[in-house]
Amino acid sequence: MAKSDTLREEAAKKNDDRQIVAFSLGSETYGVDISQVREIIPIQKIVPVPRAPEFVEGIINLRGKVIPVLDLRKHFGFEKKERDEEQKIVLAESHGESIGVIVDSVSSVLRIQEDSIEPPASVIKGEGVDYIAGICKMNSSLIVLLDLTRIISDAESRSLKEVDLASAVMK
Amino acid sequence: MSGKDRTEFQEDLQVFLAEVDEILADTEENLVELEKAPDIGIIQEVFRAMHTIKGGAATLGFQDAVEVTHTMESIMEKVRSGEQELTSDMVDVLFVVLDWLKAWKVSLEEETECPSREEVMNLIKRFASPTDAGRQRSHQEDVEVLPDADRALAEKLDGYLSDGASLYEVKVDLNPEADLLSVRCFQVYTLVSELVDIIASNPSIEDIESDRVGNTVVLYVPGKDGAELARVTAQSVQDVTEVTVAPYRPKVKKPSERTANGAQETVSADKAPKRSSLGRTVRVDVDLLDFLMNMVGELVIDRTRLTQLASRLLVDKSTSVIGNELAALASHLQRTSQELQEGIMRARLLPLKNIFTKFPRMTRDLASRCGKQIDLRIQGEDTELDRTVLEAIDDPLIHILRNAVDHGIENPEERRARGKPEYGTITLSAWHEENQVVIQVKDDGAGMEPEKLKRSAVNKGLITPEDSAKMSDKDALELIFMPGFSTAEVATQVSGRGVGMDVVRTNLERINGNIEVRSRVGLGTSFTLRLPLTLAIMRALLVECSELTYAVPTSSVEEAIALRREEVKTIQGKPALVVRGRIFPLVSLEGALNGDSWTLKDSLQYAVLTRSNDEPLAFGVDDLVGEEEIVLKDMGRMLSRLKGITGATILPDGDPALILDVNRLL
Repeated sequence: MAKSDTLREEAAKKNDDRQIVAFSLGSETYGVDISQVREIIPIQKIVPVPRAPEFVEGIINLRGKVIPVLDLRKHFGFEKKERDEEQKIVLAESHGESIGVIVDSVSSVLRIQEDSIEPPASVIKGEGVDYIAGICKMNSSLIVLLDLTRIISDAESRSLKEVDLASAVMK
Repeated sequence: MSGKDRTEFQEDLQVFLAEVDEILADTEENLVELEKAPDIGIIQEVFRAMHTIKGGAATLGFQDAVEVTHTMESIMEKVRSGEQELTSDMVDVLFVVLDWLKAWKVSLEEETECPSREEVMNLIKRFASPTDAGRQRSHQEDVEVLPDADRALAEKLDGYLSDGASLYEVKVDLNPEADLLSVRCFQVYTLVSELVDIIASNPSIEDIESDRVGNTVVLYVPGKDGAELARVTAQSVQDVTEVTVAPYRPKVKKPSERTANGAQETVSADKAPKRSSLGRTVRVDVDLLDFLMNMVGELVIDRTRLTQLASRLLVDKSTSVIGNELAALASHLQRTSQELQEGIMRARLLPLKNIFTKFPRMTRDLASRCGKQIDLRIQGEDTELDRTVLEAIDDPLIHILRNAVDHGIENPEERRARGKPEYGTITLSAWHEENQVVIQVKDDGAGMEPEKLKRSAVNKGLITPEDSAKMSDKDALELIFMPGFSTAEVATQVSGRGVGMDVVRTNLERINGNIEVRSRVGLGTSFTLRLPLTLAIMRALLVECSELTYAVPTSSVEEAIALRREEVKTIQGKPALVVRGRIFPLVSLEGALNGDSWTLKDSLQYAVLTRSNDEPLAFGVDDLVGEEEIVLKDMGRMLSRLKGITGATILPDGDPALILDVNRLL
């Protein structure tokens, strides 16, 4: 027991701390590894895309590039929220393409200890959900660590399925 | 290759490969022609093609290809000189050689192992063997005694010496037992000539190329360094046994009047123009072209923004002077950026030849596999298209041609029975029409029977028997574009690869193109593809609905008119407009996007008249913003397959807007 503790401490020292971008969604705090975040931009004009899956909020113009934006609230099935100044778009990159994710507010960049992360309980994760990278205990609160790349590829495959379904229905 | 560094070699290799690519494509076409009828002109061309590849391969040190092309060349030579008749066996072998060369080229590109040449060589040798070897041997003795040629050579060399330069004699001995002596001589000559100016040689290059060689080649090169370089180079060639260098002694005496220095200058001046004869073209990376195109796209947006700024300044008297200047500047920028844009677009254009060249061979192979006789006629192969469009139509065209061979053209017996010539004809033609390129694939085959198509669709559960009964012949033809439709009872080796005409249509629509089919039973079928010249930039009508702007490519817009409520008629409760005697069903654009086409809100003030799938259709919109040049932007994988939405663009005010494909909106 004592031995494994010291091993773990050594490992923690070696790995150093991890940096995560923490943001809130409703009353919960989420975190994304800083290496997955390319940029955080203020909410701007989002043009809706009809016929796109529901969780696609629309498209934005980022320096001449058209980038799709997802609403994480909708994606997680949370209730809708009015647009406000606090909201931000977190830009991530997946397979060479940029995709934006709307979050309620970005609190800060946090340093967390590797050993404060626990794998999510399977009951919480639920069936087929693999975008929760872990749960981090910080002081008295919990931070849900997300794998943004997973969320995006998840959304992509859901989107393609929906489009196929829609066109099948239209036929 | 000694003396060349690797990057230079790589560059030479790239140029060579591009050339080989072209030559092989041409040769393929020529062989298909040759098979139909022997033609001395075509034989000449094939001969020259092999010769060119041989030269390049020798320079770069590809032994295998040199041997293969050389042997093929000697077969062609015999046919050319009438010594041998061109047989269909021979053409088959030529095809095999061609395939080997293709595989060889691919192996160079992918840096994999060169395909074995043994099989090809054995095949070729069947035609080439007895006389070729004998001829090489018999010439061996002649070489040493060529009095006339010798004197001419000596005079040439002495003439050169009279200019005061120093000449060296590089004597290359080859193993007399070696196969393909002339190939080795040729390799020695070309390799050395790459690095050193060869003033003359014995035997001459003409003799070498005509197989008149022995086991010795003497090269005359200027300067001691040149001679040394030649020696080292020659030694790298296979079957070379010994290379000796000696200063050349003049045989005909002529007093030299010039000083050595003066002569040296003459020599270098002679050399200069030879080296600088670079072509008028450069090779440009496609990514660079794409980048330039994107930048021009940005410029186009800025230009539009400037024009709008100018018009705002013009409204106010106090700023109208600046406004005028800005407007003038904007219009100048417009002209320049337009020309820049056109220039880059031209740089991206490639002739259709690039993909057409492989079709004759493909058709030939397919036809012979199906036991059919087919003549593929190609017209307008010089028509140019943007390379992206070109890439996108390659597979669809292959598919259509396959279908034409497999299902379109009948067997020779059937054709004879119907009083048609046994040879079926497929015509592949291309031409410009306004700002589009039209490509048509037409066959004189059996045509498609609407009733048969309908039956097949009913059997596959694609339509109900009731649908089928109501269906017009024209609509029946459209059935072939339905997913899951294929007329072949049994999937054959040729077609039936799992992709159908539905994929063809989708692929074409994705690049703003479309496809139409016409067919007459017993007479044949034609497919007509209409394609945009270019992809990245298009003209579009910008319209507004509920404060959102949408772009509708002008290629699908007929006109936009003011929408007067009192003029809206209804047909079975569905709104319609009558414009100059034509009936346009009227839908709300916004409604169509959101699944409620027929409700017309009061805010609709204009109607955009379009032809959707060749049928008139009007879209009601709140406002017309104007006609603009827009740049098509990708929306990423997630939004790439939405029906009726081609992509997005960025408006002059910086907002994104969707580009709509009205043909697929409903």
